[in-house]
Amino acid sequence: MARYVQAHMTVAGIAELPLFRRAETLDLLYIGYGLTVVVLVLASYLAGAFGWLPHDAQAINVALLNAPPFTPGHALGTDFLGRDLLSRLVLGIQAYFLPGLLSVALAIVGGSVLGVLAGWRGGWWDTLITYLANLLDSFPRLVLILLVIAAFKPDIYYVMVVVGITSMPVIANLVAGKIAFLRQKSFIEAAHALGLPGHTVILKHILWFNCRALLVIQATLGMAEAILIETSLSYLGFGVQEPTPSWGNMVLSGANYFLQGNFWPSTAPALAILATILGFQLLGDGLNNLLEGKRRR
Amino acid sequence: MSLLTIENLRTYFYSRAKRAFVRSVDGVSLAVARGETLGVVGESGSGKTVTALSAAGLITGSPGVIEGRIHFGSRNLLDGLERHVQVEERDGRIMAVEKDERGWRRQVDKLMAGVRGKEIAMIFQNPRAALNPYATVGTQLVEAIRLHTRFKGKSEAKERALHWLERVRIDSPRLRFDSHPFGMSGGMCQRVMIAMALSAEPSLLIADEPTTGLDATIQSRIVELLGELKSETGITTLLISHDISVVRRLADRVAVMYAGTVVESGPAARVLQPNANHPYTAALLASVPDAETIRTKSALQAIEGEVPDTINAPLGCRFYGRCNRVTDAVRERCAHAQPPLAEIAPGHKTRCWLKAA
Repeated sequence: MARYVQAHMTVAGIAELPLFRRAETLDLLYIGYGLTVVVLVLASYLAGAFGWLPHDAQAINVALLNAPPFTPGHALGTDFLGRDLLSRLVLGIQAYFLPGLLSVALAIVGGSVLGVLAGWRGGWWDTLITYLANLLDSFPRLVLILLVIAAFKPDIYYVMVVVGITSMPVIANLVAGKIAFLRQKSFIEAAHALGLPGHTVILKHILWFNCRALLVIQATLGMAEAILIETSLSYLGFGVQEPTPSWGNMVLSGANYFLQGNFWPSTAPALAILATILGFQLLGDGLNNLLEGKRRR
Repeated sequence: MSLLTIENLRTYFYSRAKRAFVRSVDGVSLAVARGETLGVVGESGSGKTVTALSAAGLITGSPGVIEGRIHFGSRNLLDGLERHVQVEERDGRIMAVEKDERGWRRQVDKLMAGVRGKEIAMIFQNPRAALNPYATVGTQLVEAIRLHTRFKGKSEAKERALHWLERVRIDSPRLRFDSHPFGMSGGMCQRVMIAMALSAEPSLLIADEPTTGLDATIQSRIVELLGELKSETGITTLLISHDISVVRRLADRVAVMYAGTVVESGPAARVLQPNANHPYTAALLASVPDAETIRTKSALQAIEGEVPDTINAPLGCRFYGRCNRVTDAVRERCAHAQPPLAEIAPGHKTRCWLKAA
């Protein structure tokens, strides 16, 4: 049931409200949760980088194997070598953070450039980019990543460059489609008639005003995607290598003890993955609704 | 002294499907004197809009403007473009055009730098589509003002924008400043477009069907506004419309276009008189329902036949097939030769064999 309430203010008042007051509760919840996740990830990254951990993440304690949560001194328990799970979870962010950002930045910048070339220049640029995108799309991504690992070395940065490049076609397609749609619009013609230079029209009126929500969504989805890829690879044993912790290889190493009743060492990182990916996705969704200025149902 | 002079302009497009030129504008000459409003009327597809877009250097189709002269003030807006276009002509008809698109575009941008938006401003039909849907009208107005006027600072540009919103009679401009186009009515969007166009204080305003796509009552209000702004600023206007009542209310002089050519031009009162000189003008005027037609519910007088397609424009008078004044005395000439645009009174020209004799 929908309820419509007249606010106790003039209409002028609503337009003057700050952005967040105009948003709907659900969006604010999404964004709030997403931002919490982002802050936690950022804090964990810094904590890991500076070594502010409750325990040494590599310290083996043979006396305390597979300890349950809330064991004194180990808030989340220990893994099969008696290493502190909380410290390893926090340190595990190191595997994603910079590589994830790298892949997202690569995908957004490269995708936008290709999208503008294909959509604005058109002609053989369009043909070439569509062809390359199809070529890239027809190749299973995981196989490509494994090929690169085999050719170079199992380094997370190599993997993330591949993820970034393989994400470009999706973004390029979205941007090119948007541009192809927008250039039919008379406001682009009007912008030319106003005397705005071409690059202002592309950067400001097309990419900034009309594609920013799309790019924000793609960035948050890309971050979630990067985490998922790394997790899958680590689970297969190709990602970050033991003893350096990543959530993927923690799930893998914990899985051996899962059926013996010690489900915690693999469930904790799995839940962390779930919460983080959900956070990025909801953040994108909420921002989309807020930035677009109107809800599309 | 004319501000804008268009001489013998030809703007063609190429239809790949038919492998032929669409002769949208075929030898049009127009002149707009400083301070006057020239109304251009004609059916859809008569080349009105393409003429205006050619003058603003906004033709994107190919081959586009291929011939003619457009003088704006002391500038030649087609200067040097002939170097990028090679035309093959046979028997007075253009058979092939070779065009260096990239050089042509670059030259147009060079010629139009500082003219488009600054000296020649445009307002379009369907104003809601002509505003960026994702930016507030304030942002767009401020952008235009900062681009073209001495108000470069953010706050002074905003003050100026509010001033212009007020001048185009928008209620509570401060509130509307932060509205998006989708939150505003079509008439209000058109007012914003007019504010954007005039804020640069251009010397020529091209209004391309400014009332099309608006409700009838709003149309009247917009025409009223344009008339008021015209008398306040004295801006030279090229008004394009298929709505004769709009042109009658705003224009000092009128040019009637048909199938890519001007068939009659002259002072508004003389051209749009009940017993018009050119048969096409007369037919256009007759097709507008007057109070009497509406009261008696008699049928509207449509013009028989259709606009000839400009690919296979007839050799003779373009209106020949639809003309109801043709007599046996001139029939032969009408069918085989295009009548010249002959002066029948000072400043009043018409393209008809009946008058040319």
